[in-house]
Amino acid sequence: MVKNNMLKRIFETTEFVTFTIIVVLSVIIGSINPAFYSWGMLFDILRASIVFSIMAFGLLPVIISGGVDISFVAIAAMSSYATHMYLLRIGYEGGILLYYLIACSIGILAGLINGFLVTRFDLLIFNVSLAMYTMWYGFVRFFIGSERNHNLPAGVANFYSRFLLIVENQFTGVTGLHVSVLFVLGIGVTIALLLRYTTLGRGIYAMGGSRDVAIRCGFNIKTITFFVMMLMGGIASFAGVTFNLLSRFFDPTIFLGQELDVIAAIILGGASLSGGRGSVIGSFMGVIVIQMIHRALILTGIPVEWQDLMVGILLVFFISFPFIRDSFKKLTLKSSLQKP
Amino acid sequence: MKISKRKINKEGSTSMNLRIDRQTLLLLIIFFALVLGFGIFEDGFLTQRSIFSMAFQLPEIGLLSYAMMLPYLVGGINLSINASSNLSALIGAFFLLKFLPLLNLPDIPALQIGGVFVVAILVGIAAGLFNGILVGFINAPPILATLASMAFFTGISVGLTKGSTLTGFPQSISLISNTSVMGFPTPFLIFIGVTILLIILLNKSSFGFKLRLLGTNPVASQFTGIENKKIIMLYFVFSGILSAIAGILIMSRTMSASYQYGIRTYVLLTILINVLAGIAAGSGKVINVFITVFILQVISTGFHMLLIGMRGSSFFKDFVWGLLLIFIFIVNYFTRNKGTEKVELLGLFRKGKSMNE
Repeated sequence: MVKNNMLKRIFETTEFVTFTIIVVLSVIIGSINPAFYSWGMLFDILRASIVFSIMAFGLLPVIISGGVDISFVAIAAMSSYATHMYLLRIGYEGGILLYYLIACSIGILAGLINGFLVTRFDLLIFNVSLAMYTMWYGFVRFFIGSERNHNLPAGVANFYSRFLLIVENQFTGVTGLHVSVLFVLGIGVTIALLLRYTTLGRGIYAMGGSRDVAIRCGFNIKTITFFVMMLMGGIASFAGVTFNLLSRFFDPTIFLGQELDVIAAIILGGASLSGGRGSVIGSFMGVIVIQMIHRALILTGIPVEWQDLMVGILLVFFISFPFIRDSFKKLTLKSSLQKP
Repeated sequence: MKISKRKINKEGSTSMNLRIDRQTLLLLIIFFALVLGFGIFEDGFLTQRSIFSMAFQLPEIGLLSYAMMLPYLVGGINLSINASSNLSALIGAFFLLKFLPLLNLPDIPALQIGGVFVVAILVGIAAGLFNGILVGFINAPPILATLASMAFFTGISVGLTKGSTLTGFPQSISLISNTSVMGFPTPFLIFIGVTILLIILLNKSSFGFKLRLLGTNPVASQFTGIENKKIIMLYFVFSGILSAIAGILIMSRTMSASYQYGIRTYVLLTILINVLAGIAAGSGKVINVFITVFILQVISTGFHMLLIGMRGSSFFKDFVWGLLLIFIFIVNYFTRNKGTEKVELLGLFRKGKSMNE
């Protein structure tokens, strides 16, 4: 009985819906084009999901705590570009470690500013992040530089092709599982453990569930806000550096306009914008769904100009899914009530 | 009893006396300070030409800000405004390029302009209904629903045009943005007209009242007998109409229609304007949005003139917009605290205040 209830609970979560959609999508795409079932395709989807997953993991605690932030993309762009320009100027030739260290420090500082404004002046996270979003994109392009830079130091120039595994396939050519998948795994597991097994993590959920109750339980709301904002800034910068290294250029406008995709992925993965709900694995699946939709359209041979519409239709279908499920449930409930 | 009486007095007399809302005052001060500052440091700023060009540029973003304001008043959001404005303009363009020539009508500007307006606004209404169904009936969170409809509308636009830009409209279309009436550019007059209509709609109609109630407390509004779903449909439809008008102005100014006009910047800019104007669930004034649009335009034009020729000069305004937003938040924080003290001293609305906080 208990087990039955648990199963039922799993079926009712949005994470399960997302999972179902991943399965259904792969069956459909695979039946149209068998090339979908290949290691190459899997690695390709994973590679495309790396940066967005990392950013989603960074943003997830903020969303669970009940806030919506959009400044993380600007922080990522600003910190990685500033780091790159600085290291180029001092003639740095070393590896990726210093890149990550400096960028993440800048990101954490930027998060600290967000946290300070939110807690000191009693503001909404979304409003502050809107200001910081505009400010950082303006700052980096006016004060640091507005052009794409292709000069990479020798130590990081080959990072984009550092693979764990390489497979060859007649459809996709040579593809590999990139090293940075380990970053996704590492950050994902850390955040999941933090959310699940630490007092701070439980505080984040409590704050999102009910602010007042969390305060009365003795959680320090200000500390939690500072923590989630700094964590977000640091991880977003990590993702920013990774994106730039993978694409072999540094650009001050990366992710401009893509903040909503990340938020959508997190919500598709079962988080609630009003806070208190959400999981790392769900967010990851949300990112995968969006990447799969894009891949699916290429593989199924839909003309390029109609692909955006298909993304729209699939998204509309996806958000209507819980509604369809519920009305179906109501129908069956009604009929079962009428029978006896 | 006493409280309720004073409240009625206060609300009944707002239109008569010149009580200014704190946010409006702050925005006006900032506006005049900026105009004065730029006027002193930049010779070309207060000339007729630059004022005319500002009045020419701001109606588009102003109308889109109103389109964002309606959902924002309910604590929702409409991310699809730009997509639906581009879609409306595109369908209007198709009407001009494909449908009108079939009728073999003489070249009457009024017919062409009127036709474009009707077609575009119908598309705007359809887009609004689509959003309204997703949010009102399917109960999707507005941010997700309108993100999906943004992709959907952009998708239709891209599909119909195969990603290209439509041009070659009859010359009459450029009349919408190129003429001026009594010294004012026509788009600016359209903007003023829409502003007045919107003020009436939000303050004098039952729709405006229900909208604010829905924004303050959806559950209470449901139990008051307001059909929440109908209101949701309506404000998305109005939002769609406003976007469509903005789409026509853009189309007339550029004499082209494309899916990608303002695609990555306009939506966030309109949210920024609404937040600056102090619009929040259940409260907010049209006039604040109106002034804020002017402020952003003055900053944009002013710094463009001051920093002309500098590398990346057009990005400095983004930086200033962000700082300005934070500045307003901080000023509001301090004046708000003083304000409540005053209110408590007078013993007015103490109960209402603490419930709002």
